[in-house]
Amino acid sequence: MSGRTQRWTSWAILGLGFAFLYVPVLILMVYSFNESRLATVWSGFSFKWYGELLRDKQMLSAAWISIKIAFLTASAAVVLGTMAALVMTRMGKFPGKTLFGALITAPLVMPEVIIGLSILLMFVSLGQMVGLAPKGIASIWIAHVTFTLAFVTVVVSSRLAELDKSLEEAAMDLGANRIKVFFLITLPIIAPALVSGWLLAFTLSLDDVVISSFVAGPNSTTLPMKVFSSVRLGLSPKINALATLMILVVAVAAFIGWWIMHRDEKRRKLDMQMAAKEK
Amino acid sequence: MAAEVSSGTKDPARADKVGADDYLRIVDIRKEFDGFVAVDDTTLSVRQGEIFALLGGSGCGKSTLLRCLGGFEKPTAGKIYLDDQEMNDLPPYERPINMMFQSYALFPHMTVEQNIAFGLKQDGHKRDAIARRVDEMLTIVQMTKFGKRKPHQLSGGQQQRVALARSLAKSPKLLLLDEPMGALDKKLRSQMQLELVNIIEKLGVTCVMVTHDQEEAMTMAHRIALMDSGRIRQVGTPDEIYEQPTSRFAAEFIGSVNMVNGRIEEDMADYVTIRSPKLEHLIHIGHGVSGFEGQEVSFAVRPEKLSIGKTEPTQPHNKAEGIIEDIAYFGSHSVYHVRLANGTKFMANFANMQRWASESLTWNDKVWVSWGENAGVVLTS
Repeated sequence: MSGRTQRWTSWAILGLGFAFLYVPVLILMVYSFNESRLATVWSGFSFKWYGELLRDKQMLSAAWISIKIAFLTASAAVVLGTMAALVMTRMGKFPGKTLFGALITAPLVMPEVIIGLSILLMFVSLGQMVGLAPKGIASIWIAHVTFTLAFVTVVVSSRLAELDKSLEEAAMDLGANRIKVFFLITLPIIAPALVSGWLLAFTLSLDDVVISSFVAGPNSTTLPMKVFSSVRLGLSPKINALATLMILVVAVAAFIGWWIMHRDEKRRKLDMQMAAKEK
Repeated sequence: MAAEVSSGTKDPARADKVGADDYLRIVDIRKEFDGFVAVDDTTLSVRQGEIFALLGGSGCGKSTLLRCLGGFEKPTAGKIYLDDQEMNDLPPYERPINMMFQSYALFPHMTVEQNIAFGLKQDGHKRDAIARRVDEMLTIVQMTKFGKRKPHQLSGGQQQRVALARSLAKSPKLLLLDEPMGALDKKLRSQMQLELVNIIEKLGVTCVMVTHDQEEAMTMAHRIALMDSGRIRQVGTPDEIYEQPTSRFAAEFIGSVNMVNGRIEEDMADYVTIRSPKLEHLIHIGHGVSGFEGQEVSFAVRPEKLSIGKTEPTQPHNKAEGIIEDIAYFGSHSVYHVRLANGTKFMANFANMQRWASESLTWNDKVWVSWGENAGVVLTS
């Protein structure tokens, strides 16, 4: 095979790959500007479904609930997940460590249906025994923390494992006790991992529909639940508009994140080259 | 060797303490990891103001011993005293000991100044006192221009200076250096070795360093402890360790050496002769040794103590004939590898005092190697 055909083939394969991933999304975005009420028939360009979406009180309140839950979930999961990661990477050996590690990460592979069902059962029996079961937003929050915790733990503990231990030892050597070492040295250095863990938990919570459906009560319908139930009544272009907005927000956020990281990395490399040249 | 340590008084061995000869005392320290003995009942004393090197190959226990001093490892048994204070139960942050880490461990999110100030801040000093001390340390390590930089904006040598300044800022009673030159390239290494020694000696701080590099230990340290599989094999000044090794291990670890086994034939007060099956002629030692007739011993002689020439030496002993098998040219000197008829190999150094002087001896030449009666050492262990 000549070099030219080879290059052509690899471009074609790349194109196919991208098409496989993004053509459905593109179609969805295009149809969000469709004038027609029928989701699959194009009749003209219009912003009318965006207007409809903004007037839909139910949809907006569901979105607000979802964001609130995702925010609370991500924050709690980062705190608990970091604690679990510290136990896994800094506590040394203790009996049951392997079991603890396995249990922490089990929700990564456990079907959501089972997680949702088991948490619902727990809430029900809590209600029967103590008469005090979390309701509404609180119940979804607890359920979401349970399953996002695993993801945060994995992200943070991999960062902690590759962190040069002598940094923490040096801080201790210079007179900082363990708590000070954590807040003055470990935390600032692993902060990027905490941020990505937080964002991961936030998105996982934001788009969860299975677990939420199990534990949600009245007045705590999240956005994915709302979307799911409205799609069952027939495809509405409003949903396309909503999806397009969400993709836009995510894409912009991801781009800004990439740009900041890229800029810092470039500056860092330049600094290091300068330092090496000096002496 | 091992001092008795009874419980009760603060320092039971204080009575026979002479000056500051045992400023740091390591008494019967033992460290095991899951049954593996990393440090095996080691006892050591370090003088005040001394630079003391723990030298050994990887896995010899030198780093573990250093980490026990820093408080990062808890010894399985034994005691550590610094300036008559027991260290065992003190956590690292309460010990008057600071360490310069092999990776330097500079905090990446802090500037050079903040790095140096970190330890002082933990002690709760006033802000202006800290600033003054930081300036002072930056001056000592000649880094005043770089105070506002982050660690990644510094070269390896500069990072090392900052790490040193940080570990000296609190005026520790004991400074620990973990493979201090490990992260530097060779040329910078020899420069920094002397610079580091100058700074440490100027401040008069007692220092224990760990290294696997014998040249580094000999350049920097006043005394060296040679370690092997968790035990100390020999303690001495660099020239004692080099010129008077007490064991085959010590002789072979430091520098290169020619070693032959043999049996003591004559054991006199003022001379000894050794018969080696590898040598045609006797080995004659010009002084008495602590041995007995018939004892199995090794004879070790350094390559630079051998003479090499084409004519047979007149002396009746301490000589061997062979052919030149290999010549390694090092610029300042050449090393001749001479093979005797029975296959035994000798290395002899030849200083290249004149340009092309070494031309007179070349591959496959028949030569004689010989040595003086006090050139080598007799080793019994």
